Amino acid sequence: MTAVPLRVLEAPPRARFDAHLARHGGELRAERVTTLQINVGKKCNQACRHCHVDAGPLRTEVMPDAVVDACLAALARAPECDTLDVTGGAPELHPRFREIVRRARALGRRTIVRHNLTVQQEPGQQDLPEFLAAQQCEVVASLPHYTEDATDRQRGRGVYDKSVAALVRLNAVGYGGGHGLVLNLVSNPVGAFLPPRQQDLERDMRLYLGERHGIVFDRLFTITNMPIARFADWLDQHDRRAEYMERLESAFNSATLPGLMCRSLVSVSWDGRLFDCDFNQMLELSIEGEEPASIFGLDLRRLAGRRVRTADHCLGCTAGAGSSCGGALT
Amino acid sequence: MAAYFDDKDLAHFGDLKDHAPELWERFMQYYGPAFEPGLLSKREKVLIGFAVAQASQCPYCVDSYTQQALEQGLTMKHLAEAMHAAASLKAGITLAHGLVAHNVDKKVSM
Repeated sequence: MTAVPLRVLEAPPRARFDAHLARHGGELRAERVTTLQINVGKKCNQACRHCHVDAGPLRTEVMPDAVVDACLAALARAPECDTLDVTGGAPELHPRFREIVRRARALGRRTIVRHNLTVQQEPGQQDLPEFLAAQQCEVVASLPHYTEDATDRQRGRGVYDKSVAALVRLNAVGYGGGHGLVLNLVSNPVGAFLPPRQQDLERDMRLYLGERHGIVFDRLFTITNMPIARFADWLDQHDRRAEYMERLESAFNSATLPGLMCRSLVSVSWDGRLFDCDFNQMLELSIEGEEPASIFGLDLRRLAGRRVRTADHCLGCTAGAGSSCGGALT
Repeated sequence: MAAYFDDKDLAHFGDLKDHAPELWERFMQYYGPAFEPGLLSKREKVLIGFAVAQASQCPYCVDSYTQQALEQGLTMKHLAEAMHAAASLKAGITLAHGLVAHNVDKKVSM
């Protein structure tokens, strides 16, 4: 067993979220784990302003071989965990990305790749669409808005044009056409406000991207910006954090609680530690009750029924229509 | 009073009920449903709200309806079009009032 480094961080505030939770059952309990989400590293070819991972080109954290192997072994031991969700950073930049995908697919698992689109234009990635299609991966691609201005403000100058070119390439290999190769888009708000109604933005995206660029896709997921990491820094720089937290809290919606992704997902960090979600991972809020809370030798079934660790950032998942890696919850 | 308009005032809009609670209640019974989706979508109504706020030069309403518009998936590109539509109509309205001058002139001048 590989040792997992211990880290001691100040716990983030939780009173506001827990007060809402107290009025609706008191605690969050996970059900059985059906999705293993692995964050294979923080290296990314982009440095988006809302990124909760603080990912970027200069980050060096990469999931080591032993952790990769432990993740795949845990997946193999747990047939009821039917989905592998590969994220980062740009996960495609991990040296064993394609092997991870192949092995997960060989295990018969639905494999989701969280794809920033522009990574297709990085060296050695030109055949990425063909690879993803051959493996029948489900692609979840980031595109915050159908307008160039909004997208580039969040993700960097020129990203919209590159993203459009990448979507065209994905369409060309069969993605998004309703024939089994699933292409879902993800939109985060370009600022300190809640996402629009998912159905409305999906309709607009479909219309605009279709008419202007001939692009097709399956679904659009709206995801609320989480007040952590780089987005929290942006809020602080603009003195907006208190107002944003109030916005999230004022929009608390108890109907989101049954569908929260932490109930069915476990998140593995690049160094093998376990978390209830990718956001808790960034706050170093590791899973309770697992000693050590790591992927090494883990039986995923042991995580069913665990109490989910909460803090005030959870208000991001319960605001409005709710938010998850699969979009709105209600 | 430091300024006549302060963005923090917006949160105190409801204080206006203090001295006329019944009238406030009637106003809210009108205002709330008027912005609910009907034949027009929520987004269309928010855009109308934004354009009226802009044309009426109400900073509180411009603040509120800008944020609501962003949460409806609209961007400053959309709002720029809306504000120009509102502003050009205001200009047209100003010009249209010139017809009164035309008519008066026709009536009284030789």
